[in-house]
Amino acid sequence: MVSFFSMVWSSVGKKIMTGLTGVGLCLFIIGHLAGNFSLLVSAEAFNLYTYKLFSLGGLLYVIEALLTLAFVLHAIVGISIYLKKRKARPIDYIKVANAGGNSHKSISSVSMIWTGLILLVFLVLHLKTFKFGPYYETSINGIIMRDLYRLVIEVYQQPSYVISYTVIMILLGVHLRHGFWSAFQSLGVNHPRYSPVIYGFGIFFALVMAAGFILIPIWIYFTKQ
Amino acid sequence: MARGIMEKKNMTLHLRVWRQKNASAKGKMVDYTVNDVSQDMSFLELLDVLNENLIKKGEDPVEFDNDCREGICGMCSMVINGIAHGPEKGTATCQLHMRKFKDGDTITVEPWRGTAFPPIKDLVVDRSAFDQIMAAGGYTSCRVGAAADANAILVPKDMAEKAMDAAACIGCGACVAACPNGSASLFVAAKVTQFAFLPQGHAERKQRVLNMVHKMDELGFGDCSNHGECEAVCPKEISIKHIAVMRREYFKAAIS
Amino acid sequence: MSLDSKIPSGPLAQKWDQHKFDMKLVNPANRRKYTVLVVGTGLAGASAAASLGELGYNVKSFCIQDSPRRAHSIAAQGGINAAKNYSNDGDSVWRLFYDTIKGGDYRAREANVYRLAQTSVNIIDQCVAQGVPFAREYGGQLDNRSFGGAQVSRTFYARGQTGQQLLLGAYGSMMRQVDQGTVQLFARREMLDLVVIDGKARGIITRNLVTGEIESHAGDAVLLCTGGYGNVYYLSTNAKNSNATAAWRCYKRGAFFGNPCYTQIHPTCIPVSGEYQAKLTLMSESLRNDGRVWVPKNKGDKRSPDQIPEDERDYYLERKYPSFGNLVPRDVASRNAKMVCDEGRGVGESGLSVYLDFRDAIKRLGEDTIRERYGNLFDMYERITGENPYKVPMRIYPAVHYTMGGLWVDYNLQSTIPGLFVLGEANFSDHGANRLGASALMQGLADGYFVIPYTLANYLASNSFSKISTDHAEFITVREGVENLTKKLLSINGKKTVTEFHRELGKIMWDYVGMGRTESGLKHALQEIPKLREEFWKNVLIPNDPQNLNKNLEFAGRVADFLELGELMARDALHRNESCGGHFREEFQTPEGEAQRDDGNFSYVAAWEYTGENKEPVLNKEPLDFENVHVSQRSYK
Repeated sequence: MVSFFSMVWSSVGKKIMTGLTGVGLCLFIIGHLAGNFSLLVSAEAFNLYTYKLFSLGGLLYVIEALLTLAFVLHAIVGISIYLKKRKARPIDYIKVANAGGNSHKSISSVSMIWTGLILLVFLVLHLKTFKFGPYYETSINGIIMRDLYRLVIEVYQQPSYVISYTVIMILLGVHLRHGFWSAFQSLGVNHPRYSPVIYGFGIFFALVMAAGFILIPIWIYFTKQ
Repeated sequence: MARGIMEKKNMTLHLRVWRQKNASAKGKMVDYTVNDVSQDMSFLELLDVLNENLIKKGEDPVEFDNDCREGICGMCSMVINGIAHGPEKGTATCQLHMRKFKDGDTITVEPWRGTAFPPIKDLVVDRSAFDQIMAAGGYTSCRVGAAADANAILVPKDMAEKAMDAAACIGCGACVAACPNGSASLFVAAKVTQFAFLPQGHAERKQRVLNMVHKMDELGFGDCSNHGECEAVCPKEISIKHIAVMRREYFKAAIS
Repeated sequence: MSLDSKIPSGPLAQKWDQHKFDMKLVNPANRRKYTVLVVGTGLAGASAAASLGELGYNVKSFCIQDSPRRAHSIAAQGGINAAKNYSNDGDSVWRLFYDTIKGGDYRAREANVYRLAQTSVNIIDQCVAQGVPFAREYGGQLDNRSFGGAQVSRTFYARGQTGQQLLLGAYGSMMRQVDQGTVQLFARREMLDLVVIDGKARGIITRNLVTGEIESHAGDAVLLCTGGYGNVYYLSTNAKNSNATAAWRCYKRGAFFGNPCYTQIHPTCIPVSGEYQAKLTLMSESLRNDGRVWVPKNKGDKRSPDQIPEDERDYYLERKYPSFGNLVPRDVASRNAKMVCDEGRGVGESGLSVYLDFRDAIKRLGEDTIRERYGNLFDMYERITGENPYKVPMRIYPAVHYTMGGLWVDYNLQSTIPGLFVLGEANFSDHGANRLGASALMQGLADGYFVIPYTLANYLASNSFSKISTDHAEFITVREGVENLTKKLLSINGKKTVTEFHRELGKIMWDYVGMGRTESGLKHALQEIPKLREEFWKNVLIPNDPQNLNKNLEFAGRVADFLELGELMARDALHRNESCGGHFREEFQTPEGEAQRDDGNFSYVAAWEYTGENKEPVLNKEPLDFENVHVSQRSYK
């Protein structure tokens, strides 16, 4: 009888975990970006949106817990894969080349560990800046709520934030470019009919996410001075 | 184009070859030049010529694994200019011919590298880990003499073809050598899927995938990151879709 | 010494069944007390190790490569015959038996061949159960195709990789036994001698090819499954490591060598391109189903093939053999290619090749159909030659492919040394003077899966075995002999490499003991080979590194043996004053140029007995009786 742990922590178990958490995190960033677009509408729209989220109460904690779990597992597995790679090939080739052809190896695929780690650090800072950042209040239709809009506008009027945020979102795109299709492959979804579509869509998805997230701070920077 | 008239120019090639006296010795790259290389030579014949020269000079020849020299035994194993089995798609080193190179080229030649494939000498490595993986489940348990009539088991043509696509694996280890992580996923997946596609393999289906995957992990191969370099260098062009199938098999086995 | 073939009495069709009943058995509980040494892991060796391990014997398996899966059976392309009659085209055990006897030009034992045909049906069942992905019909049933020398479709195949798939099946079964602990694997080992104690084979001496250590292994029986000796010709379709050393050293310990001159030259190989060439590549003879073989009518016609008009081409196989055409058996196709090249009508730079042209087939069926049928082969051809066979005709030339001869064995596959059994291509038994396509795989698996488990048990149960360890005086003597041989080879320190000697030997063998043999040529070879051998022992240069992986040292031992075996082949070919199958003596041919047998004088197996260093071997004869088939001149016209 194979134990639960050795099953989950086997090379395949780890892939399935990365795939599942990866899909979850993709859904999260889709939601996140969609929510962010309310910044473009109006201060009220954005603050109402965040207010709605906060008023989920217990459910929000569950979602946050799941998200944290997904991030942590995704990161642990990713780091473990990297460490095992170091162990599996302690001496590297003197000449390294890409085989080309139908290989999916790319700058994106070989830098997953680095883009991933940077995103992890970013995530912590990002939460510190916004979620645990200065608490402004506003009132909409008589309801007192957090004025997160004001904080966002303040932050993105600083060029250093805009630039670093842009760079990191480019890295997010790079991570997703391999991560998106890879999640499907990790979950065992590969079919000659659909795989090229998934692979192509992955590139599109990475571009849209990166561009979407970059658009907002730039728009703020140039319109809200 | 008229045959016989076509000019085939011989080449001079520079080789940078990994030399390592034995398993425990420290290795290094050594430069050699081979003159008068025919375009019709195979890569291994080039090394034969180099070795003949070395022996005559009283030097140690470059040891390299090779046997059938027709791309099926899986014995030849070298990384040529950073690519396992060299630049030509779907081709093992033994069938790579020198017309793929240009006069004056410098070619680096290295062994498969990885913890699970420890070095033996020069370009020769120990791939017995693959045998251990096979012993963990790369078969159907059927006693000799106990089989039913061959046509008692019907296998749809497309399933037989799919199984054959996977079964074509020659066990050379290029997938491991090319994988940036040193994973043997493609090798294991090829065997697992061959039997998953065939009714004969179904009785041991679950145990097989678990045992083979765990044996692979235990032997020091890396984890897969879906780079797909394995498929690109595979002399039999085995697709990474088999790895996806293996994961489905594993999942099914794990939850039942 | 008189040779007892131990063929059971009774009607042909019942011999094997009766014999199986008559033979003694080993009790399941006692099997693990016996140690069986199986040398080689090709189809014969792997299947034998797997089935003996399953039965509970203590098996030690040895292979020369890094993994048992690489044995050269893996390279067989075309298929495996079985008398299943799934095609309903009139096949039967009897017909497969008959075709094999006829194909072998009436130089094989009836009883052995009949048993082979009988067991062929079980082989397919076994392999399918193992998950060998044979080609299928749309309904899910097994597909068959036809092959040279047969008029029924009885060949089972897995693309162009049948040997690989069958071997991986046998290898998988063996690895299962490795996992269960009944089979112990010794990879990268070369058998260098046989240890005979009290008249029985009791052990082997091996060299660990990585450390150079000379090791001793004791057992109760030795199974030699080491393949053929085609590499005596240097250039052949055999793998580089294929060699005759294990078999030859057994010969020197008293095992007779049967019919050494019977070699098969395969007609469809990629021609030699230069002096550096190390090995020849075979292309499945299924290509002859659609390709047309031709050469220009005029000598020395150097025009490119598309410039040669239809009426200046000679489709010589179709012209000479209108009913079989391009599908004549291998020996006939090969010989005719040599004849036209000898006439100066060969094509290519060297003039040593003939065209295999698909132009008409492409015109008739379309390029797509041809690609579907032979795509892999065409790709392989282009990879090796750099020429596109869809556009220009392929060029092919015959190459040494298989050796029908081998160590003499009786019906039980036992050699003249009790306890030494010889399986697969290493023995001489089933193919006579010429092997039919898709029959080698059949024989290897029949021997390993279905014959040896019975006959070995009979041997073990009928004999008593004293406990012998590797400290026994005989083991020490033999091991010292092996060590001394290595020292001797390394001490020569001459000027010529092993490969140079091998290439020279190969040239002598190909020119004089090849496709067309003559008395004077064979006598010439019998002078040249000993000269070359003498030079070898004075002038060979081997890198002096015995305690390490040293391929040149391995090859030196093998070439030393080839230099002796080559001479025996020439001697056998010279004594056989007839032509039969793969042995073609130019003096003995019909007016049409076909092989002319002499059944009155040569209907026997020539079993050569070693008598000592530099002494002439003794010829023993095992008469061949044909009670069930009518012996006639083969005709494929």
